[in-house]
Amino acid sequence: MYNKQHLDPHDDTSAQRPDFMPYQNNGGTVVAMGGEDYCIVAATTRLGLGFAIPTRNVCRYAILNDRVVLATAGMYADTVALHKVVTARVKVYQQQQEKPFGLFSAAQLLSNTLYYRRFFPYYTFNVLGGLDQDGQGFVYGFDAIGSGEKVKVVCNGTAQALIQPILDNQVEKKQQYENKQIEKWSLQEALDLVKDVFTSAGERDIYTGDAVDICTVTKQRGVVVETFPLKKD
Amino acid sequence: MFLTRSEYDRGVNTFSPEGRLFQVEYAMEAIKLGSTAVGIQTAEGVVLAVEKRLSSTLLEPNSVEKLVEIDEHVGCAMSGLIADARTMIEHARVEAQNHRFTFDEPMPVESLTQATCDLALRFGEGVEDDDEREEEMMSRPFGVSLLIAGVDEKGPALFYTDPSGTYIRWLAKAIGAGSEAAQSALQEAYYKSMTLSEAETLALRTLKEVMEEKVESNNVEVAVVRTDTKKFVIYTEAQVKECLSRLENRETH
Amino acid sequence: MQLRIPSAAVKAQYVDPTQVVVDPVRHTTSPLVTGGSVVGIRCCDGVVIAADTLASYGSMARFQNLSRLVKVTDNCLLGGGGEISDFQEIQRLLENLITKDFCFNDEHTQSPRSVHQYLGRVLYAQRSRLNPLWNSLLVGGYTAGQSFLGMVDLYGTTFESEVLATGFGVLLGLPLLRKAYRPDLTVQEGIKVVEDVYRVLFYRDARSINRIQVATATEAGVTISEPYSLETKWDFKGFVNPRSPYDESTW
Repeated sequence: MYNKQHLDPHDDTSAQRPDFMPYQNNGGTVVAMGGEDYCIVAATTRLGLGFAIPTRNVCRYAILNDRVVLATAGMYADTVALHKVVTARVKVYQQQQEKPFGLFSAAQLLSNTLYYRRFFPYYTFNVLGGLDQDGQGFVYGFDAIGSGEKVKVVCNGTAQALIQPILDNQVEKKQQYENKQIEKWSLQEALDLVKDVFTSAGERDIYTGDAVDICTVTKQRGVVVETFPLKKD
Repeated sequence: MFLTRSEYDRGVNTFSPEGRLFQVEYAMEAIKLGSTAVGIQTAEGVVLAVEKRLSSTLLEPNSVEKLVEIDEHVGCAMSGLIADARTMIEHARVEAQNHRFTFDEPMPVESLTQATCDLALRFGEGVEDDDEREEEMMSRPFGVSLLIAGVDEKGPALFYTDPSGTYIRWLAKAIGAGSEAAQSALQEAYYKSMTLSEAETLALRTLKEVMEEKVESNNVEVAVVRTDTKKFVIYTEAQVKECLSRLENRETH
Repeated sequence: MQLRIPSAAVKAQYVDPTQVVVDPVRHTTSPLVTGGSVVGIRCCDGVVIAADTLASYGSMARFQNLSRLVKVTDNCLLGGGGEISDFQEIQRLLENLITKDFCFNDEHTQSPRSVHQYLGRVLYAQRSRLNPLWNSLLVGGYTAGQSFLGMVDLYGTTFESEVLATGFGVLLGLPLLRKAYRPDLTVQEGIKVVEDVYRVLFYRDARSINRIQVATATEAGVTISEPYSLETKWDFKGFVNPRSPYDESTW
């Protein structure tokens, strides 16, 4: 349906605007945390642009299937494009292989998809969370060009510097003066922690606020999304 | 029968009025000239065994390879035009590695079989060359049949492919010149609770029945994919010898 | 025109004429004739989108009676700001899309949501070729008792919202729209709200004009009003003498 007569997508010689910066930072923060029998993937809904908030309610997560969720911060146009690409690949995989798309495959696919655009990257900061075949939660964090690692808990986006140290302290028990924190995080404890870090980050980061969509992945219930309100200022 | 074939067996793109593609059927005939290969699936894994026709004593037996690895969890036996099989297997190997690269997991055996058959179907298909002219990519169907054996997350599997690009799953299947006799032998002797070593013996016994030469450790090849290790292994001559001695023991007692 | 001279040549105080690279003169790689803000608001019985009728040429108020609102289908409308020639190209793209649907004669037309998504993909594809369509667009519509309002920008960013604005309207109009918004707001009330927004924009946005058009999509279809002028009031104390002690504003 794309009109070739006017805008030819195959015409590489068409005029380019050399001074055009193709990137935009829309902010946003994403967090993922894996537990014994659950996984939490959360993403804020504010779309920021400079000092303005063009809208307070965008979707920064993509439910790939009933056990894998992807959440993305950064440029929103790239986020939408990336989610479209990955969900389409997952659908084709599930039709061809006649089995659900696994979390570890999703991590590999996401890494490849991002690295494929190494020299014109998706300006996106991703976290990927879900359950493995036994129902245990795992999460991954990725940079914009596909480097990633499997971790216990991860934060990406504009409030990363505010949230990641707190998650490291509480979940990974790093830099604790006295070891007195929770050993195994129950789903409820993890949810409370996630809500707390977003609420706190909302106080200090202008790109984090309005609301956070929290996806909870469990074997019994699949993916359940809850929208937790944050301050709108 | 031969009357109706006239003219309709020239091109691979033309059906006969009866709805047949003669070139594909002829390709199936080519397989019946090939050496015999058998595959047997058990709960413990899959066995592949092939006959090697050593037409001369001056021939180096090791250079006749009819069992090959596709990926570490999948192997394949072939019968028919071996050069055609090479093309298909090369395609399958690339597909298997591409799947690993993209999805970080071994490719399911059925998907791999499907991907191999996708290539088998492309006979008569045109491709555009650099000057956007249509060029024939393949002038005829592949004259080869494969037995693809592997173990994936669903367990062991054995697939049979033919020149039409069809694939079918079998518990035990024979292909090649001796396939008719071999298939009925398998039909008779196969049972589902068979162990892997019993399957090895059955495979060799079946080959022995249909082979013109006497079965020796250098004129048959045996390979297995075990369910527990999920690895495709081609037996060494010593291991084949051991299988053969087991067969002899069974027959003498 | 830029001259790029290899630094080694500069050091030698000598310019080799064969080494001088002259960039081509670029007259058309940044927006020239531009439209200002577009604002929209969703209502319980439809959607309202408005735009003023000015197309500026730099700081000059070049075309003062230019419509920036178009009907896309019987239930979908489009408002655009930014480079006017790019906006007209977008209108041609949409016309083509709609004409194809018409020719199929199968009762199918693009929904407002699909028009919005289509424009999103087109603008994203163009930005990815580093040759953007330099526009901010609002897509509005009303189908099956549901109103729709979405935005697309030159980066291909797409989103939907109850209230939307582009350009200066994001800073000056959005707060007013958000304050005025209720789920049960009617189209009649919505029109009053966007008129207020344009009054404020006219007071403070130098690239605006007090002549606007208001378009609505309702059960009855799409209507685009004729351009009309807004009543303005310039005798506020702050306007008359901005430096008077009565002026409490900071700017």
